[in-house]
Amino acid sequence: MGRKVKKRIRIRKKKEETLADIYERKLIEALKELRVPALMLHFVLTTGTLGYMLLSDGDFIDAFYMTVITIGTIGFGEVAEGSDTPVGRMFTSLLALSGIGIFTTSVTMVVRLFFKEDIINLFRTLRMLREIENLKGHYIVCGYNRTSAWLVNMLKKRKIEFVVIEADERALKYIQDHQIKYFIIEDPYKKHVLKAGGIERAKGMIVNLQDDAKNIAVIATARLLRPDKDEFLIYSFASTEGTAQKLEELGANKALVPDRLLASRLASYIFHPESAYISSLFDRLAFGEESDIDIMEIRIFEGSPLAGKRLMDLDLRKNMKVSVIAVRKADGKLEVGITGMTQIEEGDTLIMFGEHKNLRKAKKFLESKVEA
Amino acid sequence: MRLKHIFTDFFILMALTTNISFIVNPNPYELVITVSANLAATLLKIGESKVLSTELMTSSLVADLHLIPALFIYFMGNHEEAISLAYGAAAANIVSVILAIIRTVLSTFAEEE
Repeated sequence: MGRKVKKRIRIRKKKEETLADIYERKLIEALKELRVPALMLHFVLTTGTLGYMLLSDGDFIDAFYMTVITIGTIGFGEVAEGSDTPVGRMFTSLLALSGIGIFTTSVTMVVRLFFKEDIINLFRTLRMLREIENLKGHYIVCGYNRTSAWLVNMLKKRKIEFVVIEADERALKYIQDHQIKYFIIEDPYKKHVLKAGGIERAKGMIVNLQDDAKNIAVIATARLLRPDKDEFLIYSFASTEGTAQKLEELGANKALVPDRLLASRLASYIFHPESAYISSLFDRLAFGEESDIDIMEIRIFEGSPLAGKRLMDLDLRKNMKVSVIAVRKADGKLEVGITGMTQIEEGDTLIMFGEHKNLRKAKKFLESKVEA
Repeated sequence: MRLKHIFTDFFILMALTTNISFIVNPNPYELVITVSANLAATLLKIGESKVLSTELMTSSLVADLHLIPALFIYFMGNHEEAISLAYGAAAANIVSVILAIIRTVLSTFAEEE
């Protein structure tokens, strides 16, 4: 009776390949091409050195030197002992005939690999991808054009970390000129590219690909990875109002139509000519162009110990040197008649005005109250 | 038959055997051949991405970094120091051979599966 042989079948789950893995593979592939020229050169050097060593009775230094000056076409003369004999000259001739070709071919191949295959850039990209892995709470900017350039400039001023993802290699020059620290030249709608950009740890994303279809693809992919709209913010550009609405339905927190935005901003100047300074100030504040002062929103969540307190109890103006200028109620209504007696309620959003550092302090203070 | 494996394993073994032969009978020719075999073994391992292959590359580099100084020290006249460095290289080469055997066994199992 034959024995039953049970064959164990192991099913291994294939590890998802990251962008760093792909670049590492590219680098290894490029390095692999170094093998043949290096081995060719190694073979000639070994043959030459051993040959001259035999001729010079084991003098390695002279033998190696003689081989190098022969195959390198330097030819300073017959420095190795025994190389000026008929046998030595015959050996030198053979070495030169085979070695010079191998030497020049190998050097050309190595130089081509380093410059054409861009091994150095691959190294840099890998290092950058490893650095991106350490980012947290950053923003991802998909698409690099003039608008994105302005945007990242503002993020830089505020010391907010960001990663630019751009598919077009032509943008690389501008990205480098603008001293962008982290960038990925890949299609942003690919899952592994967004993961390489640190989407799992990022705070938000700006989608500006100048093509609605591409914007949709990126937003859909991003929302698959980060479905929560409150935890991960997506701001997108759209060509029309209709598309903007669709993008918001699809997952964008806000989709902006650049033409409309520009028109609104110009209109605000036309409508308020007599208060141009204030209009401009609020405008600059809203668009982050005012360097010292800013507006900040702080939401009072359900169950917050701040709920039920009056603004005078907190005395933010005296303690933190910030002013609560308005309160947005849970139903969206904006309350502007703020006094010390105004009571904070659950779901309110305090709109505070003040200097950056004071606003940060106030935020920290209010958040610590919540945590306590 | 895998030509690449034959070449790589040949040079891994050759690196160890020439290394031992230099230790047993130290002479300049043996030393140059040992260095050459070690460098060839290292070059053949460039571009291997598997874990064991990178370990093989590391052990080969260790052997090279023992033998290249040994080569210069030997021709400077300090034979004892060169031989002791060659002992170090031999240890690294033994590790290389062990790793090569493990790799072969693992790939045989993988083929059977």
